[in-house]
Amino acid sequence: MNLEYNIRYAAKNTYENEASKALWQFLIIPENNETQQLISDEFTNSLKIQVEESINGYNFRTYKIRPKERFDEVEFQADFKLIKRVENIFERVSLEYSKDEYKILRSLEFRVTNDVFLRSTALTKLPHQVEFQFDENISLFENLQNLNSWIKNEFTFKTNVTDIDTDLNHILEIKQGVCQDFTHLFIAIAKEFGIPARYVSGYLHQGNGYFGDSQMHAWVECCLPSSGWIGFDPTNNLLAAENHIKVAHGKDYTDCPPLKGVVFSSGKNETEYTVQVSAQQQQ
Amino acid sequence: MKKTNDNPTFESYNRDPKLFDEIFDENDNVRDIYKTLFNLYSEHSAKDFGRLNNKAKSSFFNQGITFQVYGDHEIKEKIFPFDLFPRIIDAQEWELIEKGVLQRSKALNAFLWDLYHDKNIIKEGIVPLELISSSANYLDQINGFDPPGGIYNHISGTDLIKHSDGKYYVLEDNIRCPSGVSYVICNRTALKRALFGVFNHYQAHTVTDYAENLLQILETVKPKGVDVPNCVVITPGIYNSAYYEHSYLAKAMGVELVEGRDLFVENDFVYMKTISGPQKVDVIYRRIDDQFLDPLEFKPDSALGVPGLMAAYKKGNVCLVNAPGTGVADDKAIYTYMPEIIKYYLDEDPILNNVPTYHCSRPDELEYVLENVHNLVVKPVDEAGGYGISIGNKLSKDEIEEVRKTLKENPRKYIAQPIMSLSVHPTYIEETECFEPRHVDLRTFTLLGADKEFVLKGGLTRVALQKGNLIVNSSQGGGSKDTWVLKNN
Repeated sequence: MNLEYNIRYAAKNTYENEASKALWQFLIIPENNETQQLISDEFTNSLKIQVEESINGYNFRTYKIRPKERFDEVEFQADFKLIKRVENIFERVSLEYSKDEYKILRSLEFRVTNDVFLRSTALTKLPHQVEFQFDENISLFENLQNLNSWIKNEFTFKTNVTDIDTDLNHILEIKQGVCQDFTHLFIAIAKEFGIPARYVSGYLHQGNGYFGDSQMHAWVECCLPSSGWIGFDPTNNLLAAENHIKVAHGKDYTDCPPLKGVVFSSGKNETEYTVQVSAQQQQ
Repeated sequence: MKKTNDNPTFESYNRDPKLFDEIFDENDNVRDIYKTLFNLYSEHSAKDFGRLNNKAKSSFFNQGITFQVYGDHEIKEKIFPFDLFPRIIDAQEWELIEKGVLQRSKALNAFLWDLYHDKNIIKEGIVPLELISSSANYLDQINGFDPPGGIYNHISGTDLIKHSDGKYYVLEDNIRCPSGVSYVICNRTALKRALFGVFNHYQAHTVTDYAENLLQILETVKPKGVDVPNCVVITPGIYNSAYYEHSYLAKAMGVELVEGRDLFVENDFVYMKTISGPQKVDVIYRRIDDQFLDPLEFKPDSALGVPGLMAAYKKGNVCLVNAPGTGVADDKAIYTYMPEIIKYYLDEDPILNNVPTYHCSRPDELEYVLENVHNLVVKPVDEAGGYGISIGNKLSKDEIEEVRKTLKENPRKYIAQPIMSLSVHPTYIEETECFEPRHVDLRTFTLLGADKEFVLKGGLTRVALQKGNLIVNSSQGGGSKDTWVLKNN
């Protein structure tokens, strides 16, 4: 069975004073992978500037826009159509406990191959030990599911208490945050144990009452020796599956913000954006 | 000192038998290679040298060959002091240096390719994973990327010293943006202006061919599909201490010198703004550090780079020289593995010596270190700007015990090296109006391109002008000398 998604990303930037030069980079295009296929993408802007297609540092597709005239306001809109395959994740994941899994995890070969996603970054550095403990008598996957629910139980989803620079020290203290924060926390704990973990940015199916579905969502992918990269969504205590549409991944948020810009202007500026995601079952 | 015969300018030259003196041998005789020069210099009085010294100084000022020193209250424009007594390297000795630095550059290039592809040297346990994963200079963005021509370190600056045993040792490989080559060329010009006659007695290789070779190297790594590449030099701007060099190299190569704001990226191609419209750029010799290259990928507030440059680079539409990400291979910890790195990739023995390094993580080496703390420099492996370094012969008994204790507690964290002494060379000292021995090192410049390589026959001999000082950096009051590599007779 497949799901057909229609995704709309709309953003509006306003500048207190007219800006003369800018370059915006949008990292919002769903990637093509084994479970999702992009059917169409369309991107427009109120300044009627031609859109360039490019890549970011990790080879994910981007849109780039470079206005040639002065502006104080600009609106962008992207529409994507996408087919998502509904897969049974348990066909890929082994639930069974195996000592070998831990052995491979600790092997030099595995650590070297996944080195990039084992390093801690400023946003994924654990300031101190947390209560969550890994149990080496159960499978890695089960451990990560436990971690997923531990975060969901211990922390409360709340907007406007954190921002993009909030570090884990603060999150652990206030026990509140949004999807980015919980994703960073999950990554930090997994890496500390030696499991390669990366930050995923994408869209979340709306209408199911999940947390974090009104904006771009964030979740985690962990590399398990037996099953490869598996997605965990600690904000909702879910496995990332047919409800999660991946755009890009990186070490942490700084590798995949949806919008990056270099703008030459003075004064304040504001960015607002919304996301609409709707799905239909495909026969 | 009697051996300085009747040469008054060598009156206060006191040879230290513990150091290697470049012009006097252990019997205080002038070495063969310097004899003619020494005699020629004897014809001049101290007053002459004072006058020539001033002439050389003003020549540097007038050409604008200066750098800036940031003081407490003001920024001072200074010249890099130039010394009138050239260093001479004979053909045989040079052959060893040339082969040695080329070998290191090639090994480092192969090492970088491996680090950004299969990482075999780490998987085989030859270089520890921790060294790479703890390095802030490893760029994930170019993991798996093939740089044009397969070259990462197109330009390498290798720092060598001559130890008291008379042998050359490599202290450092600089493969980010090594600087100093413009001084090599200016020093030659300055010495020719001051003492033209001495060049009639020696057959020294030219150093002015550096720029043409650099341009050829840049052209060998042009992007696919480009016939005649448009090369530029990008500089952080006039306030950079090496700005003179950037402008010199651009001028000598006959290419444009640009700043970030002169370039822009459109559809992943790089263009230079000119009065006759945009002009595509194919190869960029960048003198900007990785972190400032592209605000979309690295430091977002950097105005030095070009937004979108990394995407253009990764699409293969422009070549950056040196490649981004080379910094991972030139830190202190990697240096200690250079003999293994050379062996692994080239299956050759190192031609030039590394300063021997004892890894305290290895039990038998730790034992040696513990017994010889007073003769060794002990450093932490995770380089932290000179922090935690102890120099054995400067320690008190208690301090030595303290170091031993630390080493026993945490052997993995430390390495130890013998205390190296830099050779000395006669250097004109303004205060005494005489030549006195001062410590020197040598920076060589090696170029690697696709199917082309070049080592500049010469180099920057840096000299520590303070008596007894071992620090030759220009910011610390170091100067430099013209360096002659002699042709084979």
